[in-house]
Amino acid sequence: MKQLLYQLSWWKYLSICIILYVLIAGFLIPLKPGIYSFTPALATEGEDVSLKITGYNTHFESSGETNAWLKMPDDRLIKADSIVIKDEVNLEAYFSIPNNLPDISNSGILATIIVDNEKDGYAIYPQGFRVRKGTVVSSENAFQDFYELSEIRHVDGIAFPFRNILYETIRNTFFHVAIWFAMFLLLVISCFYSIRYLRLGSYIDDLKSSSLTTVAIYFGMAGIITGSIWAKFTWGTFWTSDIKLNMSAIALLIYLAYLVLRNSISDVDSKARISAVYNLFAFVCLMILVMVIPRLTDSLHPGNGGNPALGGEDLDNTLRMVFYPAIIAYTLLGIWMAQLFYRYKRLKMKIKLKE
Amino acid sequence: MRKEISNDLRGKFGFTASLLYLVTIVFVVYKMIGEMNPAVKSAFFWVIILFTAINFVSQSFSTHMKKRKIYLYQLYDPTELIISRLILNFLKLMIAGLVLVLIQAAFTNSMVKDPLLFLTGFLLASVGIVSILSLVASISIYSKEQTGLMTILALPLLIPVLLLAMRISLVSERMFVDSSVSNYLMMLTGIDLLLVTLVIVFFPIVWKS
Repeated sequence: MKQLLYQLSWWKYLSICIILYVLIAGFLIPLKPGIYSFTPALATEGEDVSLKITGYNTHFESSGETNAWLKMPDDRLIKADSIVIKDEVNLEAYFSIPNNLPDISNSGILATIIVDNEKDGYAIYPQGFRVRKGTVVSSENAFQDFYELSEIRHVDGIAFPFRNILYETIRNTFFHVAIWFAMFLLLVISCFYSIRYLRLGSYIDDLKSSSLTTVAIYFGMAGIITGSIWAKFTWGTFWTSDIKLNMSAIALLIYLAYLVLRNSISDVDSKARISAVYNLFAFVCLMILVMVIPRLTDSLHPGNGGNPALGGEDLDNTLRMVFYPAIIAYTLLGIWMAQLFYRYKRLKMKIKLKE
Repeated sequence: MRKEISNDLRGKFGFTASLLYLVTIVFVVYKMIGEMNPAVKSAFFWVIILFTAINFVSQSFSTHMKKRKIYLYQLYDPTELIISRLILNFLKLMIAGLVLVLIQAAFTNSMVKDPLLFLTGFLLASVGIVSILSLVASISIYSKEQTGLMTILALPLLIPVLLLAMRISLVSERMFVDSSVSNYLMMLTGIDLLLVTLVIVFFPIVWKS
């Protein structure tokens, strides 16, 4: 046992540590407080409306004074006249919506609901509350008593962003997305060894390359499975006919064909040469598949057609703190797995040669 | 190159067989389905073209290449060989495509609405299809289960080219208006250039054994 532990080089320990960190931090860090739902969904100018707001991870009851706001598109705020707190996550806010709201069109405006208090900071529901244009436009009770954005309190702390629809599944960034990133890195390394094989002609490079590709295929499957579980919770089905999903399935098919190809050629020399060529060719086709085709149509997948993904507010610093280490950890783990595969294959080859 | 053509003309039975196969399939499908809307029609077009192409490209790489490999190896530079093969297979695919378009037009009594766009799309797509199939065919002659391996390897690799081509042909059938069709043509050209270079680079490596 002691000897076994000694044999592990430092980067293997590093990958274990980072994976533990990713699991612990990724699952235990809470989400920021947010607004889960609210009713009613719309109101009219000049109306008095009582909004029932349900929060998520909020502390309405145990925190001090809680305020509710409606943010207009021009960043000015309407404050709730009064608030009735029911429990930690439920409250009812009474707004009297003024007349003559700025920039209101015939279809109305979409206001953002904000609730803030000392303990949670702010919780928002972006652009969900529709205010229709009133029929009677009187200057009485016009839009005058507004507040600035600086009124809203915020609390610094480590928490993952709260996104409607995504909720807790935002943690899948550390698994699904990171695994696919690691898969691409492994494929790049594999291509490097393929090129080296074609130039220098050493079987070691061929074995390394094929081991890395095998591990990358496992990673690809893991990515598809984690994505599929995520899709079950957010889209309601395990699989849709979305372009990006189908492209990833095809990418997997390309690489499964690689395994078939390797198994179907018996001559060692031509097997190595041809699988190196196919590996490089497949990688280029994979790049085309991933870069070009998703532009043809809109996709539900995050990162396409205006859906949230890696960018802007969606990958904030707390997510990055776990996401980037996760990529490194999975890549190292993949290299480790590939190393085991490689050793196994090398031993098998040696036995074959002896026979 | 000239040698290649004369070789091929001698063995032209294979290609005419492919063409006959194409005509028969079209006939069978039209008897079975009857009326087709443009979307089905162009999907059908691409499927048939794909299988015909797989058919004759694998033929051109398998039968006589296996037998005369050493002879060809001594005689020609592999780069020269693959370029002439690409051009030849490309021409064959063009012929097959034109035949198919004409038959389809005869069966449905309507020509493609924008023939120029359709032709450009078809031209670019067939360069891609031929280059992918050529490389895959030259790879799969090393294996025992040649035809099976060929389809397994080729189909997923062909999908990006086919999807782009499908989109272009749908636009050319006026199924919908897509302002970025010139973009698709550009993408297809880029992919073609990439694939052709890769095939020309990789073929000599696969070839020597």
